[in-house]
Amino acid sequence: MAERAAPWTEPAAPPAEPAAPSTEPAALLPWRPARRGRGPAPRAGRRRRWGVVAAAVLLGLLTAAALAVPLLDPTDQRLVELAAANRPPSWAHPLGTDELGRDLLLRSLYGLRVSLAVGVAAAVVATVLGGLVGLVAGVAGGWVDWLLMRLIDGMGALPHLLAGIFIVALFSPGVGAVVVSIGVTHWLSTARIVRSEVLSLRGRTFVDAAISGGAGRWRVLRRHLLPGVAPHLALAAVLMVPHAIWHESALSFLGLGLPPHLASLGNMINDGRRTLFAGVWWPSLVPGLFIIAPTLAVSVLSLWGRDRLNPRRRTELQL
Amino acid sequence: MTAPAATAAAAALAARGVSVRYGRHQVLSGVDFAVPAGTTTGLAGPSGCGKSTLAAVLALLLRPHAGTVTVDGRTTPGFRYRAPRELRTRVAIVFQQPRMAVDPRLRLRDLITEPLRATGRSAGAGAALDRLADLVGLTTELLGRFPHEVSDGQLQRACVARALVLGPRYLVCDEMTTMLDASTQALLVHAVRAYQRDSGAGVLAVSHDPVLLDRWCDEVRNWEQVAGPRRR
Amino acid sequence: MTASDGPGGVAAFGGASAGAGPSLAVERMSVRFRLPRETVHAVTDVSFTLRAGECLALVGESGCGKSVLAAGLLGLLPGNAELRGRALLDEVDLLAAPERVLARRIRGRRVGLVTQSPAAHLTPVRTARAHLEEAVTELGTARGDPRAAADRYAARAGLRPADLRRYPHQLSGGLAQRVSTALALAGDPWLLLADEPTTGLDRALVSHTMAELGRLRDAGHGVLLITHDLAAARAVADRVAVMYAGRLVEITAAGEFFAAPGAGGPAHPYAAALLDALPDRGFTPLPGFPPELTRLPDGCAFAPRCARADAACAITPPPVVRGGRLLACHHPEGRA
Repeated sequence: MAERAAPWTEPAAPPAEPAAPSTEPAALLPWRPARRGRGPAPRAGRRRRWGVVAAAVLLGLLTAAALAVPLLDPTDQRLVELAAANRPPSWAHPLGTDELGRDLLLRSLYGLRVSLAVGVAAAVVATVLGGLVGLVAGVAGGWVDWLLMRLIDGMGALPHLLAGIFIVALFSPGVGAVVVSIGVTHWLSTARIVRSEVLSLRGRTFVDAAISGGAGRWRVLRRHLLPGVAPHLALAAVLMVPHAIWHESALSFLGLGLPPHLASLGNMINDGRRTLFAGVWWPSLVPGLFIIAPTLAVSVLSLWGRDRLNPRRRTELQL
Repeated sequence: MTAPAATAAAAALAARGVSVRYGRHQVLSGVDFAVPAGTTTGLAGPSGCGKSTLAAVLALLLRPHAGTVTVDGRTTPGFRYRAPRELRTRVAIVFQQPRMAVDPRLRLRDLITEPLRATGRSAGAGAALDRLADLVGLTTELLGRFPHEVSDGQLQRACVARALVLGPRYLVCDEMTTMLDASTQALLVHAVRAYQRDSGAGVLAVSHDPVLLDRWCDEVRNWEQVAGPRRR
Repeated sequence: MTASDGPGGVAAFGGASAGAGPSLAVERMSVRFRLPRETVHAVTDVSFTLRAGECLALVGESGCGKSVLAAGLLGLLPGNAELRGRALLDEVDLLAAPERVLARRIRGRRVGLVTQSPAAHLTPVRTARAHLEEAVTELGTARGDPRAAADRYAARAGLRPADLRRYPHQLSGGLAQRVSTALALAGDPWLLLADEPTTGLDRALVSHTMAELGRLRDAGHGVLLITHDLAAARAVADRVAVMYAGRLVEITAAGEFFAAPGAGGPAHPYAAALLDALPDRGFTPLPGFPPELTRLPDGCAFAPRCARADAACAITPPPVVRGGRLLACHHPEGRA
């Protein structure tokens, strides 16, 4: 750049050390932060992740409320009070009432119960199925792996809502059909994740070391591969729940899901359609919010969970 | 197959006519190599030439496309899980990269004693652990840590201890010290030498460092002699 | 290759004190990291100078702070790091300069970084040539023809133009090292910082890489070689600086440091022990482990492992003696 002027000169002899620059004790010199003008410091120490805390609190509250509502509900859900129909949010009914006069807050919580139950059941089915397939594919390898992967690719090409509808149509409608429908269409990504994790673990020489140390196939699977895969499975299961809830809601909205007397969030949104154009928007929006809230919370928590699963568990010092 | 009496000639870990191919690339072709018991044999050569492949075959962890491996006169019917446990545990191996060779969920002391549990010999685990930790210079405090809490040098010490816990008859050190500083290298070589002297085991030291092999081994073989000149 | 350019070909620099040549003067540099529950004192009170045309090898075990020192000089420390002291590169204080100055005038242009395992430092989907051409264009040394400039720097690092067509994963160890050197040279810096350039390389390749660095030193560059491999340092160093637990314990001329036992050798017991661990010397390991950088003792950090230590060593910090060489020890090895 501009400062290039005099050519270099060769030193004649090994240079002497500089005269001691300052003899004052080191403690008197000031400390300065290392990064200047490079933007905000990344992860300086343990930064409170408020988003994760908020999400966890929200999810906890919702789940607790959904579980406790039958005990805390003073009213009888079967009671219909037409005089109070379609009331907007007020002190008596914080989130309004629906066309049959039922309080939307309470009804949504009941709906969340049902949706959570169905969602968790479906997520478990999907995760177990996906985990098994992924494990078998990763461990067996060869043509078994190839076949299973083609199966996954094929099923992945089907739009899963359509497939879900098809499956529900095969059985008589009800909770069981919905759970099976969601489980059977949602195991694919779990299978891929598990398979890839298994393959990566098998490639590490610690499996070789275990074999050399006398471990048999089952021991390696049980003691080394499964514990490595388990956290991913757990995370996949948790992630699956909001998706299952959404799927169930979609099926119910289309009238193919849970029977109408079961207050599921999807049914409620469907019911609310009737009054939407009359300007009564809350019977559809409120259950919608109860779907969005846990989904958002789980998404935020899943990002945090993925971070923790990252095998980059070293201190910040390693450069 | 019954184990024949271990005569002087049969007391070796021997590969005969071993060929290994990765896709179209022929890594080993009809290689004969024997590691006699009771001495340390060095295998010198540049990296990437196939020494580690031969080491894996000798440790019964890689199935060659042709050839056999014999442990003290007994030919192995298969490799990896198909090799009988009794043969597998006779040959131990230490890898170049300790981080890849350990289960990150186990503490160092569990890592070291895992082969004992895998072979149903967990009774003597405590004593074996003390003895080996002494040999490789690991303190009790370090033994309680996880792999991500210790340095590479400390982790490799644990790997050496793990390799020795079953009292193997043959030890394959595949570039064991390449990633380590000189002091840890010296310590681990001394540990392996001590074990070799006390147990009469046969050690194969694979390395690209001729100075190290010269100092460590009783006899050094060159890769060029073993595998023949490189074919392109 | 490098000699043919001569001092004129390697870019000319002005020094702070004209006539003395460019230099790096580190004065009482310290780096610490603030973690939630503790503070890591990675580098403590390090001072040394380096001039163009000489090679200083900074040696020590892994974790002693050498790489942190390098990162600190280049301004690449993470957000929880704090600095103290000065590091004058010609007239610029590297430890106080804002990021703008470091990025536009220092990195690549006055200091070139030769890294270890270049495959990890290069974008896998671009060829070596693409990297080199981008570097010369960014750093302003292309002079209108990036391709020719890339060839020029590649030649200086011992590469043929055909070699540059490879992708990072196609580079063998030796080629990869030379690509790293070429990239370091691309901005015509006078100072080359080589951070563990020999990790994982064969002995033969190590000698070769050290010879390359030696050639660059002879051509007028200053080389700061950071390594734990003493054998590598021996091949190229003019002076050896030994670091332990974040402090410099000895700086000695290389000839003196590597002299045969009995005819010289380092004065600090740790440095002597490091040498003695080599397979072509005593092959004797050091007992114990280096101290945790979060719990440094008041006295000499090496005392627990030192054969010559006494009670005073553990309590009082060792006196630092300068003048010709640096030495921080209560009981240095006697010398002929």
